[in-house]
Amino acid sequence: MTEGVIVARVDEIDDGTAITVDAALIGTVDDIAVFNDGGRFYALDDTCTHEKASLSEGWIEDGVVECPLHAGKFCLGDGEVLSMPATRPVACHRVVVEADTIRVIPNPERLRS
Amino acid sequence: MTTTGAGTRDPGAVVIVGGGLAGYTAAIQLRRLGHQSAITVVDAEPAAYDRPPLSKRLLDDDFSIGELAFATAGELGAQGIVTRFRRSARSIDPERLTVTLDDGDVLEADTVLLATGGRPRRLRVPGADRPEVFVLRTIADAAAIRGQVRAGTRVSIIGAGLIGAELASSLSRAGALVSLIDPVEVPLEAAMGPLLARELHLLHRTAGVELHRDVIAAIEPTNDVDYAAGTVDVVLDGGGRVRSELVIVGIGIVPNTRLAADAGLTVADGIVVGEDLQTSAPGVYAAGDVAVRRLPDGTLARREEHWEAAQLSGQQAAHGMMGLPVPTRGAPWFWTDRYGVHVEVVGRLSGSGEAIVREDGGGRRAFFLIEEGLLVGAAAIDDPNTVRAARRLIDQRVPVDARLLGDPDIAVRSLLTATRRPETRGTHA
Repeated sequence: MTEGVIVARVDEIDDGTAITVDAALIGTVDDIAVFNDGGRFYALDDTCTHEKASLSEGWIEDGVVECPLHAGKFCLGDGEVLSMPATRPVACHRVVVEADTIRVIPNPERLRS
Repeated sequence: MTTTGAGTRDPGAVVIVGGGLAGYTAAIQLRRLGHQSAITVVDAEPAAYDRPPLSKRLLDDDFSIGELAFATAGELGAQGIVTRFRRSARSIDPERLTVTLDDGDVLEADTVLLATGGRPRRLRVPGADRPEVFVLRTIADAAAIRGQVRAGTRVSIIGAGLIGAELASSLSRAGALVSLIDPVEVPLEAAMGPLLARELHLLHRTAGVELHRDVIAAIEPTNDVDYAAGTVDVVLDGGGRVRSELVIVGIGIVPNTRLAADAGLTVADGIVVGEDLQTSAPGVYAAGDVAVRRLPDGTLARREEHWEAAQLSGQQAAHGMMGLPVPTRGAPWFWTDRYGVHVEVVGRLSGSGEAIVREDGGGRRAFFLIEEGLLVGAAAIDDPNTVRAARRLIDQRVPVDARLLGDPDIAVRSLLTATRRPETRGTHA
């Protein structure tokens, strides 16, 4: 069985934008944001660790997402904090692009028990 | 001293006086830049913590030092950053580079960073020292205000700048009966432009906050027997009296320059620093709200007080202390959260230039100021990405067309992409 869930076709997420995948659909504790940054796709927990905001609505550029609320910055590749006010990383999920589909394999630590 | 980094200066043992955003950021940045010697942060506060929520989320449930702290003591320890919280610096010796604490301890340093911030400006009227009068700068101030406010509490807020406006929002949402007093008809015009300032100021009235355009003559106990002790009248210059159980003064800050002045450092409206954030005393640097920069032409820049300015100033100070090129700054940026809306502002929105308002079908509005074909400022309500795009247009000096900027069907980001040089982003043709 193939791991993870197909969340979109590559042409459904424009460069510099993101979609959210419903937590209920993918079985995680938080919605997952799937980002297109210059044709590379990344997946992180959608909720900023600083205050409640959707990272999918953030500014996406050069491997970084900037939270739409207070501009805390997270690395798209691993969820690490690159700039305050955020101080805790966001969870990162695996992304597999096959032909024109994007599959997200949720981080096992973020699965709903 | 341990030799560190690739800079031209070894900071050696660093003592940072002030653990707010600028001081904390400088400490973290020094480590990121490879500095390995001792770093000690001294602050009278119980932790290094974030202050914007003090006004914005004052009455929220999760309001605690644990929530607001930038890092735990353990996390700081893991970075080799020693903290002396609940201690303040009594004096510094710029010759010997020592910092004497209030408990008599003397910290020896090779480099001292003054990030002493500011304190609330006091109201100078009779009664301003009464126990019903509060200010907001620290978590203790916030806790004191929280302890006084219940649904129905009458609160007068003096000053309708960012802090006063955010407090009015937080307190009115909690059911307090808020009066907001400011002599200016539309506060914050200089900071956010007349159009946005007016729109935001009207939100107070919509939320039921009583607006008074006046200055304060005095704060007097209420003689009316129907009122409990501890109720005061805020007496307005125009003759009005605003009955209040609580008065909060938010009329700006005064930079904490005493340590620097006592040590003989050059002080103006802040501690004067050069391009590398070094003060007039070699080995002593200053950053954050307290620092004021001398420009290459010899004049002094305006002292900045926004959150991001403090963060960037701390980063710059770390570079300066390491003898590394100091990163350049873009246009100043700030945000304010009130009445459920999130506002961002970048650059300059008042003064000369062509003002443009962009309105989409959903009622979202953005404000721009263009001068000589370049964007100089932008702001938006609940549309941060328009401001983030505008910020890059400003900093990269991308020529803009007023008609395109005003067209809600054209994403501001596309103006950036269209003119961005291909090499700035490898994946773009």
